[in-house]
Amino acid sequence: MKTCRAEGSPGLPETRRRLAAVRTVAALVVLAALGLPALAFDLPALAALLAQRKSAETRFTEERTISGLDGPLRSSGTLSFSAPDRFARHTLEPRPESMVVEGNTVSIRRGGRTRQMALDAVPELTALIAAVRGTLTGNAATLQQHFRVQVAGNAALWTLTLVPRDERLAAQVHELQIVGQRGELRTLELSLAGGDRSLMIIEPLPPAPPGSRPPASAPRAGPAAPR
Amino acid sequence: MTPSALPLRRRVAVLLCWLALVLAAGWQISRTTFTADLSAFLPSDPDPQQRLLIEQLGSGVPARTLLIGIDGADAQVRADASRSLAAKMRASGLFEQVHNGERSDWADVGAWLVEHRYQLSPAVDARRFTVAGLRDAIEETLSLLGTPAGHLLKPLLERDPTGETQRIAESLIPSDAPRSEAGVWASRQGGRALLVASTRAAGSDLDAQSAALDQLREAFAAVAPAGLTLKVSGAPVFAVDSRAQIESEVRWLAIAGTVGVSALLLLAFASLPALGAALLPVGTGVLAGITAVSLGFGGVHGITLGFGATLIGEAVDYAIYFLIQSRRAGWRAWLKSSWPTVRLGLLTSMCGFGALIFSGFPGLAQLGLFTVSGLLGAALATRFVMPVLLPEGSRGQGLRRQLGRLGQAAVDALPRLRWPLLALGVAAAALLAARGELWRADLSSLSPISAEALALDASLRADLSAGDARSLVVVQAADIEGTLQRAEAAAARLEPLIDRGAIGGWDSVTRFLPSLTRQRERLSHLPPAAPLRAALAEATRDGPLRAERLEPFLDDVQRARESSPITLESLRGTALAPLVDALLLQRADGSWVALLPLQPIAGAPIDSAAVARALQGLPGTQLLEIGRALTQLYERYLGEAQAQALLGALGVVAVMALALRSWRRLLAVCQPLLLAVLLTMGALALLQVHLGILHLVGLLLVVAVGSNYALFFNMLQRDGHGDPDMLASLLLANLTTVLSFGLIAMSAIPALSAIGRVVAPGALLALLLSAAFAPRPAAVP
Repeated sequence: MKTCRAEGSPGLPETRRRLAAVRTVAALVVLAALGLPALAFDLPALAALLAQRKSAETRFTEERTISGLDGPLRSSGTLSFSAPDRFARHTLEPRPESMVVEGNTVSIRRGGRTRQMALDAVPELTALIAAVRGTLTGNAATLQQHFRVQVAGNAALWTLTLVPRDERLAAQVHELQIVGQRGELRTLELSLAGGDRSLMIIEPLPPAPPGSRPPASAPRAGPAAPR
Repeated sequence: MTPSALPLRRRVAVLLCWLALVLAAGWQISRTTFTADLSAFLPSDPDPQQRLLIEQLGSGVPARTLLIGIDGADAQVRADASRSLAAKMRASGLFEQVHNGERSDWADVGAWLVEHRYQLSPAVDARRFTVAGLRDAIEETLSLLGTPAGHLLKPLLERDPTGETQRIAESLIPSDAPRSEAGVWASRQGGRALLVASTRAAGSDLDAQSAALDQLREAFAAVAPAGLTLKVSGAPVFAVDSRAQIESEVRWLAIAGTVGVSALLLLAFASLPALGAALLPVGTGVLAGITAVSLGFGGVHGITLGFGATLIGEAVDYAIYFLIQSRRAGWRAWLKSSWPTVRLGLLTSMCGFGALIFSGFPGLAQLGLFTVSGLLGAALATRFVMPVLLPEGSRGQGLRRQLGRLGQAAVDALPRLRWPLLALGVAAAALLAARGELWRADLSSLSPISAEALALDASLRADLSAGDARSLVVVQAADIEGTLQRAEAAAARLEPLIDRGAIGGWDSVTRFLPSLTRQRERLSHLPPAAPLRAALAEATRDGPLRAERLEPFLDDVQRARESSPITLESLRGTALAPLVDALLLQRADGSWVALLPLQPIAGAPIDSAAVARALQGLPGTQLLEIGRALTQLYERYLGEAQAQALLGALGVVAVMALALRSWRRLLAVCQPLLLAVLLTMGALALLQVHLGILHLVGLLLVVAVGSNYALFFNMLQRDGHGDPDMLASLLLANLTTVLSFGLIAMSAIPALSAIGRVVAPGALLALLLSAAFAPRPAAVP
């Protein structure tokens, strides 16, 4: 604690991260001394890591492999998230499309037409959005409500595997696999029925030019806009 | 036999005449239909907007729609019960549609939509099957593959690479649907599974509605495990329940009124023949009232009948006056001394209520006609039949002497309270002036539906997101094709409003049944096989989807080119028929109406001004907001009733002025009436009661009943003797009135209790004030 304070003014998440690292090392030392197996990096730990982030702006490239098609389908765009419940996916290439989820309302815009619908009217969609929002907010309870959850790896590189509990969704989506580093998501892979797959690679947006963000909103989470 | 009695032949003739009239009335009543819906309170001569409203309320799908909730246990148990209940209801054949959120509901519809996609898809235009159009459409379809939503589209890819099915489905997504839980609809708060059903029978067929409700409850009892409860609401429930409620209330009020009034009369007369005789004009009056309404309107509303119970307390007054006042000198003397006053009171009452007969609203007109003819019947029975039966009034003494003494004491004491009473009246007037917004309340205050039932309805509606199905665009034309074309034109204007956030979406029958013109136009854009094959090859070159896979598409397009158009007849008997029936109606005059219900954006009201602007200039197209239209209707209704009540009151004053021929006496008679009305209204204002039409009708009754008291007191003082018998009769007449209106004030039917709560205290006040403000005998020579 004291050492952190002495280091000038690091952001709060940065402090926590270092603190966590210190604790992990300390724990490993203790465990090694006791001769016990290393404590696994589990869902609560991952959730705590993810919960620190309150908003994110990233870009994505997606590659979908569909049986029966000659080549993969590629698309790219941006993802944005702000706690507690707003999530947007804007596809820019090859066709502009968007899906914005806020609270219980989903707005989909395709081909110049907008449609709104109630999220909870479609259970499959509810579960999928729960996977995304639950991961982004670090809400372990929501994830476990809709999926069988597995966490592997460690804080530096983890894999979150979600298998739908809802039968109807399971018939469409066999598995979601999210790979991340600390509080950042790196890839999101969907295994769909019939062997189709979708792999989304997520990268931080280039840092926003200074002054384009409201100044007083600190402590803004680091991962999406590092430094 | 006393010398004053009529000859036997005359007496028999009178009784036979009366009996014949009663039998005729009974026969007419036996053929009368009794209604209990809101129809009596909707205008009989509506403007076009109101006509749409009435059609919707009376015969539209809303009038046949049941909202059903299953409460208790856990989600899985509720969902199972919902599925079994829906299956049983569908099997019963009494319901046209039963929806509970199960997807299998839509399996048939889905296949039909795929088959007719080229006639239905709004995307089919001249560009759609060119190289560029095909490339665009295929690209858009592919953008959904590899997402969870793509799993529904993929099986259709080879038949429908341009995504017409998806385009149609997209337009059918409701912007605000119920939540889905364990595979069926559920409330957002949890704890309730939801279903919506519409009965096959018309909304006006209450017996069939009642049977459908019974079937629903039985089916639920058969399938639901313990711990689950059924909640049902909707127009059919209201109609059936209020009919039952009105029936039982009317029975209860009639029995309680008769027993109460009889007990009072027995106390007063201590004579059974007197009691029987006193009830005779009452019965005659009620029969006359029902018969007149039945003849005049072709049916009687339950509320009118409930109102009949109040007539007991009013009509018995005539009998009381006769029985007590003719005791001293026989009926001939009564005819000479009191009958003119009774007749004048009758005329004023008839004048007051006569004004209501001309109301544009059948409910009020029925009340007016019922009261006028009921009072006339009762008065005539008193005038002609009573002298035959009891020529010398009632001999019984009972408590009459005490009543007379009490009356005398009051007459002596009350005038001393004139100034305080006047001051109270001024205070009441000031309070009313200060209160301003006195007349409030809405059309629902007329309906017999309890606040509890309305709350359940509101919660089920909110759960089902059916709350704002009350804004719709109504399109009309002489024939079906014209109506569908106009609906398409309206839909084209509505579509941009979704983007602008004015509405969340719209429904239209043209999604399943486009106009023939539009269908032909779409099909005309489908190219013949060879050019389509060439364009497809060009459009898919270098793409991931190879043209060789799309042979089924080429076949389907060729088949569609030769398909026959979708018509209303071709939809009969399909799963879509109920949907089409809900959105497309034929009027009795052969013209057609299409309804385009508007969906709000979740959590925001519909921007009706924007909708109205967008629709400007379209022929036969209107925005109908049921809630607002009902409020406007009520306001018109209230304004009309106020004018009529004022006219009625003026009529009462005019009749009295003609009869009394003295401004001073007229003032003396009007003063207590005005004060009674002011004090009653003041008391209601103090109790924070919002005054509605029925309070107004009650006030009119206070004037009509009160004028009798005022006239009697006036006559009493003019003739210079404070006759204790006369006072006893007035007091007794007043007690019976207060009693019967007091009973009605306790009714669970808001319409009746409103009248009772005004008249019971108002009539008592009118009597006391008449006594207080009667001209002093000393001042009369």
